[in-house]
Amino acid sequence: MITLLRFKNNNMAKPEIADTTFNLDTAIAHIAHWLPAQGPIKDFIHHNTLHAVQDHPFHEGIAIAAKVFGARSYLPLSDYQALYQEGRIKANAINWAIEHSGCTVLEQEKLRNSLFEKDHTSHYPPVSLANHGIRYAWLTHLEFNLNALVHPIMFRLLGNFLDQGISTWSLPKSGEHFWDCIVRLTQHSLLPLYPLNGPIAFELLSKSPDEVILICLEKIVGDEQLYEQYLLEMLLAHPGWSGMVSVIEQSPNMLLARREISLKELIAVELLIEHMFLEKKYGSQLVNISSIPYNIDTPLLKQGWVKPTIPLRLKVWHEAMEWSLHSELLIALKAKHSKPNGATNLKPVAQALFCIDDRECSLRRHLEEVNPAIETLGAAGFFGIDFFYQGLDDAYPVAQCPNIIVPKHLIKELSSTPKPSNKPKRGNLTNMHFTAHTMFRGWLYTQTVGIGYAVKMAWDVFRPGSKLPNIRSLSEIESHSQLHLLRETDELTPDGHLLGFSYTEMADRLGGLLRNIGLTERFAPLVVVVAHGSSSVNNPHFAAYDCGACSGKPGAPNARAFAWMANNESVRAILRERGINIPDETRFVAALHNTSRDEVTYFDPHLLIEHPIPALATFQETMSLALQRNARERSRWFELAPQDQTNEIAHAHVKNRATSIFEPRPEYNHSNNLYAIVGRRQLTRDLFMDRRAFLHSYDPQTDAQGDIMARILSAVIPVCGGINLEYFFSRIDNSVYGAGTKLPHNVIGLLGVANGVEGDLRTGLPHQMIEVHQPARLLIVVEQTTDIIDKTVAKLADHLKEWLDNEWVRVVSCHPDNQQLFLYSANGWEPVILPENEEAPVSSKSQDIFIGKTQTIPVHQFIRNQA
Amino acid sequence: MNELILTCLGLPLLGFLLIFLSAADEKKIAFISYWCSHALGLSIIALLTLWTIAGFPNHEYQWLTVYETHDYSFPLLFYLDRISAVYLFCTWAIFSIIVKYCRYYLHREAGYKRFFLTIFSFVFGLNLVILSGSIDVLFAGWEIVGIASFLLIAFYRHRMQPIRNSLRAYTIYRFCDIGLLLGSLMSHVLFHESQHFSQLANLFNSTATPPASYGSLWLISTLILIAASGKSAQFPFCFWLPRAMEGPTPSSAIFYGALSVHLGVFLLLRTIPIWSYNYVTRWSVFNIGLLTVIFASISEKTQSNIKGKIAYGSITQVGFMFMEVALGLETLVLIHFLGNAFLRCYQLLVSPSIVVHLLRVEGATDSDFYIENNTKFQFLSPSLRAVLPDILKNTLYVFSLQEGCLELLVRSVLWTPLKRAGSTINAMKLSRKFLYISGSFGFVGLIILVFGLTTQYFAYPVSIFMVTASLSAFSQKHSPYSVWNAIGLSSTLAGLSVWFLNPGALNDVVIFASGIVPAWALGIFTLYHLLKNSNFSDSPFAYRAMSETQPKLSLLLFSSFLGLVGFPISPAFLGEDLLLSHASNEGAWFALPITIAFVINGIAAAKVFQRLCLGSPNELNVNKIEEKTISDVQ
Repeated sequence: MITLLRFKNNNMAKPEIADTTFNLDTAIAHIAHWLPAQGPIKDFIHHNTLHAVQDHPFHEGIAIAAKVFGARSYLPLSDYQALYQEGRIKANAINWAIEHSGCTVLEQEKLRNSLFEKDHTSHYPPVSLANHGIRYAWLTHLEFNLNALVHPIMFRLLGNFLDQGISTWSLPKSGEHFWDCIVRLTQHSLLPLYPLNGPIAFELLSKSPDEVILICLEKIVGDEQLYEQYLLEMLLAHPGWSGMVSVIEQSPNMLLARREISLKELIAVELLIEHMFLEKKYGSQLVNISSIPYNIDTPLLKQGWVKPTIPLRLKVWHEAMEWSLHSELLIALKAKHSKPNGATNLKPVAQALFCIDDRECSLRRHLEEVNPAIETLGAAGFFGIDFFYQGLDDAYPVAQCPNIIVPKHLIKELSSTPKPSNKPKRGNLTNMHFTAHTMFRGWLYTQTVGIGYAVKMAWDVFRPGSKLPNIRSLSEIESHSQLHLLRETDELTPDGHLLGFSYTEMADRLGGLLRNIGLTERFAPLVVVVAHGSSSVNNPHFAAYDCGACSGKPGAPNARAFAWMANNESVRAILRERGINIPDETRFVAALHNTSRDEVTYFDPHLLIEHPIPALATFQETMSLALQRNARERSRWFELAPQDQTNEIAHAHVKNRATSIFEPRPEYNHSNNLYAIVGRRQLTRDLFMDRRAFLHSYDPQTDAQGDIMARILSAVIPVCGGINLEYFFSRIDNSVYGAGTKLPHNVIGLLGVANGVEGDLRTGLPHQMIEVHQPARLLIVVEQTTDIIDKTVAKLADHLKEWLDNEWVRVVSCHPDNQQLFLYSANGWEPVILPENEEAPVSSKSQDIFIGKTQTIPVHQFIRNQA
Repeated sequence: MNELILTCLGLPLLGFLLIFLSAADEKKIAFISYWCSHALGLSIIALLTLWTIAGFPNHEYQWLTVYETHDYSFPLLFYLDRISAVYLFCTWAIFSIIVKYCRYYLHREAGYKRFFLTIFSFVFGLNLVILSGSIDVLFAGWEIVGIASFLLIAFYRHRMQPIRNSLRAYTIYRFCDIGLLLGSLMSHVLFHESQHFSQLANLFNSTATPPASYGSLWLISTLILIAASGKSAQFPFCFWLPRAMEGPTPSSAIFYGALSVHLGVFLLLRTIPIWSYNYVTRWSVFNIGLLTVIFASISEKTQSNIKGKIAYGSITQVGFMFMEVALGLETLVLIHFLGNAFLRCYQLLVSPSIVVHLLRVEGATDSDFYIENNTKFQFLSPSLRAVLPDILKNTLYVFSLQEGCLELLVRSVLWTPLKRAGSTINAMKLSRKFLYISGSFGFVGLIILVFGLTTQYFAYPVSIFMVTASLSAFSQKHSPYSVWNAIGLSSTLAGLSVWFLNPGALNDVVIFASGIVPAWALGIFTLYHLLKNSNFSDSPFAYRAMSETQPKLSLLLFSSFLGLVGFPISPAFLGEDLLLSHASNEGAWFALPITIAFVINGIAAAKVFQRLCLGSPNELNVNKIEEKTISDVQ
């Protein structure tokens, strides 16, 4: 953490680091802190891209990150100015942002005058460590493109070492370390690995990685004070692979096939390869980095850190944009002074519990619009039940909960009918284009069936959406299966998990969730638990489309488990003792919302025979109507979708999208996300929020100590905040923080994607996911008094509290009784002052608002005719 | 039928022009490409139908003659037979699928217009190759395909790696052009008027003795084989193909999966009579194929990325095709080509699905998906696996990992010596260069005087200086002007040397110069305007992204580049052919330095174009620092 201290005390610019001698392990710990934390692509976990600077205030943090990574920090100035011309940035928001900029009155005036100047370059990335550090001298002074030589070799070695199943011959022997593996390939091979041939490399390879690093650093860098910076720059030259190695080192379980690798080994191998290339080129005449004069603006770690430069004008514009967007919701929240409270006490005919996900925001609205007697609730999509899940056809169990939780339980899916053993044998012809075969078989297949692919290809391209054999879409979950939920013995499985839950554990989880969302009474006869997932084809980022609260998996197992537990008599009995009385006539049904196809599948139909639910049929009808409207609402974002068409055509269109191999945008995911609202549905039920809000249900009356709120925020902040900031940074600089366009992506070792064959792994989100995103920080509106939220904040863990204190998310308290709004800051609550004359636009139904619109829509208020 | 041949060529060109002229509006471009690809499809189908009705004839069509002198003619010849028909059919099928695919896939992509422009020029070049009736026309198409390939690999010009890889592929293409250029020239010399593909077979059938000596036949076969190996990524050029997978996936699919990679096979099929005459050459074709199959299939085993795996799979199959061609199994080759083209194209298109496929489908059924390391060297029989010493296994692995070390080999044989020679020349002082030049001229002049020889011998020093100038251009990094001037100089010297050699060729030299000189001047003019506000040598290794900051000038620079490399739109293309034919009339050896100079010039010019026009525009402003900072304010 010394690196960070240095940032904080940058005024001192003390040579405290310069004095201490170089310690490899501390240096690696510092460096690891800067690397991207994205794991293998099979489970995509959204997180704050700039977690490394999260302990700094937001604007300072991104300025530091820009200096390190060489990235943009804001949109181009002209974008903000255009938004102002369009009226999306309001004049009063500019005033607000200027007032909050910390300038003196005189400077404020100067700043205001400069806002509308034309400037096409101020958003460009600054001179950075990653691009223009001391290693840059190889190219500029020695005219030697070291990266171009070293990277392809390094990436091949890493790719093959970590590969999870693409290559036919795997590199490591089981349990072998990366370093040992390289030693084996060079010292025990007749054809030594280029460029590690020759006596120098042989001698070095017989030493330990620690020694090799020090020897190479001395040769290449020379000055001990520059060692850490050199290593950091070297790893930042390929952040994707460095980050992957660092993630795997910290949690080796993320890989299906274990690999023993550490950053230290990576550094040792890379330095050795660099050393050998330099040796081959210069021999003994090699000059080291410290003897090359560097430019005056080369950033140097050893001198402490220069104060990050925050481009003030862009910062003010950005804050003005965010405040404008945030105000759109706040105005709408404040507007409803007189709420018809009478309607809320009626018992709903059905309740639907959705995931907090912003994509469910519109479906909930449509559902309630079609049938106002349905009540919807929101909770994190793992529904409070954390476990490893292994489906009937799964090769390995996956965690079904946010990645901050490590589950202890394993749930397996069992078949209730004996499964016919018609499993495809090897060499199944329908998938021959994926399977590896021997040389002769390859020749034979290509000769014979190859031509058939002309037909297959033409079919896929000209008739997408038609059903193809062997592609199981999400919705087709085996209906004759059941989850093995009840634990029979306390014996641990070989992996150290408990197989199933006991009744008490079930009641703990169920009761916890019901209390969180404030559903402890007024149960409707039918409660549908709707998980969500997304089906797409030809999409390596598929995991980023699924439920974020389930670590990038469809939430179906959680919904099924929840419904099973809530229907179970023993669980209900325990809950009754604890004061949650689920009436006997209430039945829970699990369902899965496919967010790309807008379809809902209802699980476990065989249970309905025992307990018929009359309300279910009506509910399903309502739901299918709502889904069509939802599809129509989503279609407005798809430029090539049929516009101005009926709901049915729109629905058919979104279904086609999900099965088209040429469609890089099966859906736009979270790209609208902006708000998170924790509170009762009454607060938001009459609002049109354009799929922008994460909605979590919460009853402010039952939480005097703020404990429930603390539990909710502990999930909302990292999950929703992580989604928000990942979209934010991928949008701000798609080439550095994001993954660039999907089109040239190449899947590497099932770990991630890269551009082309020799590229670095790309982290973040591809361009096709974020292109319509408006980059603004998350506004969390909490329906609770400031006093209780203060208690909650005191209970939050430090790493969560810094999200709030450093303004990586904004928090507004909305008083449960009078809707007074207060903005959180580390210095205390500040009343939100909104312009008197502005009111949220009104409308009577959703379709009137969104049809024909192609941009994001401000929050609207519904006027419902109380008939 | 003749008209249909012309429409098959004209429609892609028309599509190219229409897109070029239209605004960068996605809807319009999609509309144009939709109709052009369908019209092309119709004309191909109509052509093939007519051809079928006519009973599969070997149809030749001479459209017009571009240039003719007493001993040289350049007719635009087209030829349709079984081979062209199969290739044409495949082009139609894949092209129409890809155009439809890209309509959606490239939606909202920056460079939508650029992509469709390139892909239409590619299809134009491809159809030209397929329907060509003589090796000259084929070469024109070949060049167009090469440039289109170069542009598509560097489609994502903001990143260094696509730029580098496009240069790598272009270099290989260029090098293999030596083969085709010299090959076409030798066919002029050897077969005179009968360089028509239609007459090749008869030439070898009718007479008992071959139309040329075994030696020259062997040479021409080898040259053709080099050209074919380079284009089809055969031994020893396998390494460029996987690295060319930098563009959008469908472009990789159409170029490197399906069509472009099979052009080498096409060239071999076309020139069968020439090289199959002798068993030695047959045997070399077979061996190239065999070596490729071995190298590529071993390399494929350790590809941990999906596109690389597909690329090596494809190379292996093309290697088989080479072997089949050598064995005379033409029909089998054609079937094999169709199968491989469609399969690889499909594989590349669905390659992003591999994660889902391996984890969800294969993982779900107990098929041969492995997560543990149980498949290492599974091709070896279990007994052998147990006894094979570890050291051999490691060796095999390293061999596979380094893809047979072919890149190192090719680089050290072809690239490094040229670069070394060039930098030695560049390091030389100007006075010394002058000394050498005047000295050698004086020496040759003296010899001519003393022995009473003709001035023809001045051609020797001139051609040496020509190659020297090219080498200097090749390794010049610091000044784009010097590169352009050196290229211009080298081309001028080429003209001069031919003029010395054959004073009667002045007319043809003028034709050549009429292509080169304007291109040269245009290049210098454009460079001046592009660079007037910046100092190039301050950061010679930055990519300057001028195609975005100065699109018009960049386009001019690009046309100048095309002119200098003798692209088929410039008179220099014809001039190049003419010069070579004169040169080889006087002495076959003389064509070699000229060809080498042309090839190196092309690479040097491409490098300058990349440095200036490609790259990400932000890099230029790295030193710009926002003046209003928070520290000023506080």
